[in-house]
Amino acid sequence: MTETRTIKISPITRIEGHASIAIELDDAGNVADSKVHFQSIRGFEKFVEGKPAEELPRIVNRICGICPWHHHLAANKAVDRCFGVTPPPAGQKLRELIQTIAQAEDKLLHFFFLAAADFVIGPDADYAVRNVIGVAKANPDLAKKVVQMRYKAKMMIEKFAGKAIHPVAAVTGGFAKAMTEEDRKWMLEGMREIYDFARFTIDFAKKDIFPKYMDAIASLGVINTGFIGTVDSAGALNLYDGKIRLMKADGSYTDFDVQDYTDYLGEHVPSWSYGKFPYAKSWNEGFSLDLDNPKGIYRSNTLARINVADHMATPAAQAELEEFRQLFGRPAQATLLYHYARLIEEVYACEHAIEMLEDPEITDPNVRAEAEPKAGRGVGCVEAPRGTLIHDYSTDDNGLITRANMIVGTTHNLGPINMSVDQAARSLIKEGHVDEGILNKVEMAVRAYDP
Amino acid sequence: MCLAIPSKIVAVDGDTAVIDVDGVRREASLMLVEDVCVGDYVIVHAGYAISRLDADAAEESLELMRQVFT
Repeated sequence: MTETRTIKISPITRIEGHASIAIELDDAGNVADSKVHFQSIRGFEKFVEGKPAEELPRIVNRICGICPWHHHLAANKAVDRCFGVTPPPAGQKLRELIQTIAQAEDKLLHFFFLAAADFVIGPDADYAVRNVIGVAKANPDLAKKVVQMRYKAKMMIEKFAGKAIHPVAAVTGGFAKAMTEEDRKWMLEGMREIYDFARFTIDFAKKDIFPKYMDAIASLGVINTGFIGTVDSAGALNLYDGKIRLMKADGSYTDFDVQDYTDYLGEHVPSWSYGKFPYAKSWNEGFSLDLDNPKGIYRSNTLARINVADHMATPAAQAELEEFRQLFGRPAQATLLYHYARLIEEVYACEHAIEMLEDPEITDPNVRAEAEPKAGRGVGCVEAPRGTLIHDYSTDDNGLITRANMIVGTTHNLGPINMSVDQAARSLIKEGHVDEGILNKVEMAVRAYDP
Repeated sequence: MCLAIPSKIVAVDGDTAVIDVDGVRREASLMLVEDVCVGDYVIVHAGYAISRLDADAAEESLELMRQVFT
C-alpha cells in the first residue's frame, strides 16, 4: 500500500502574514511536492470600489503594517495620475525622502531581527535560542545599537511626517507640509548616524557572517529565474520612480512604463491557491514552477533590484555592488544573497537620503499642486522593501474608484518562494528523515525573501 | 502577506507579551517598542511588536479588516 505523509510548518516563524508550508512525502519518504500558502488581499480590491480616490492613500496603508509608507505613496501616485496632477519638485522629493528613510529602517529590522538569528546563532540551534533574544545574548551591545538605530529612523519619520504606522502626510498633488531648515538639519544629522551604522553592518556581515555560510548560500533554495525592479533613465537602481526593468535569467532585459504593466505581467491563479501569482506574460512561455524548466518566473525584492540595475547612483553603494558582482556575477541567482543585496541597498538608502537632505530644494515651500476629482486611470508604483508595488485605479467623473488592482511586492515572489522551498525540501529531506534543523533550513529559504 | 492586524496586549512578562487578535492568543517580543502595557494595541511582525497604536486607530483598522476579509 502506498503511504504518503505531509509535513506542515505553520505559521512560519519570523515571517509575517499567515504563511504555511506543506511538504508531501512519497512512500519512500522523499519529497513528492511542496507548497507555500499565503493569505490573499483580493478582498481589498473589491472593498475600495466606490470610495473617493483621494481617500485610498489613507485606507490602503493598512494593508501592510511593515511598509505602510510604500502603499501610501503608490496609492498617491496612482490618484495623481487619475486626476492628471503632477506634484511640484519639493513635493516629490519629500515623498521620496520619507520612503527612502522607511526603506533604511525596514532593512535594519529585517537583517538583524528576522534573518540574523539564522546566521549569528546558526540554523541547527534549538528554536528556544535561535531568535533575537539569542542574538542579544550573543552580542548585547550590537542588539542595543540596532534597536536604537531603528528607533531613530522611525522617530525621524514620525516627528517630521506624522504617524509612522498609518501615514497621511502625502496627499493628492504632493505633500501636506513643507520642510523647515531646522527639520532639514536634525534629519541630516540623524541620517549620517544611520549611514555610519549601515557601513558598519555591511562590513560586519562581509567579515563575520557571510564567509561562514558560503556553502549554504551556494546551495539552499537556489533556483534559476528572471528578475524585476525599477531603474532611472541612466539604468541606476531607483526606489521611488523610473522605468520597470524585467530581466530574464540569461541577463537580457526589457524596460517598460508601469502604466503598461498589463502588457508585460500576467496574474496566474493556480488551482491550489486563492492567491494571484504574477508572471512574465511578455515572455510568451506561460506559467510553470517546474524547478528544471520554470516558465514566466521572475523575482522581486532586494536581489532582483541589485541584479536589474546597471549601477548604483551613490558612490559607497556602487563600490559594494562592484565587489558583489565580482563574487557572484550578474544576475546572481543564489537565494540567500537577498540578505547581502539588502545590505547594499541599506547603504544606498542612507546615502541617497543624505543627498536629498543636502539638496536646498527640499525646503522649498511649494509642495502641493491643486487637484480636482475626475475620471481617469492611473498606475502608481514604488519599490517597496519586498518588491515592485503596483496600485492601479480607475475613477469615474466624481473621482470615485470604479476598479482597483494591486500587485504587492511579495506576490511577485509567490512562485519563486514555492520553488525555493521545493528545492530546499528535495535536497534536504531524504528517506523520511526530518528534524528541526532541516525544517529551519527550509524556512530560511522563505525568510530570505522577507515575505 | 504582511497584514497590519492590530493586536491587543493582554499580559506582559518582562520583554514578552501575550497578544490577542479576535480571541486568538500568541506570544510576541516587546524588545522593539517602549512603554507598552496591558490594554495597548501593537502591530506585530514575525513575532515582534514593532509599533504601538492608539485605541481609535486600532479599532478603525480592525473594522476595516472585518469588512475586507469576512
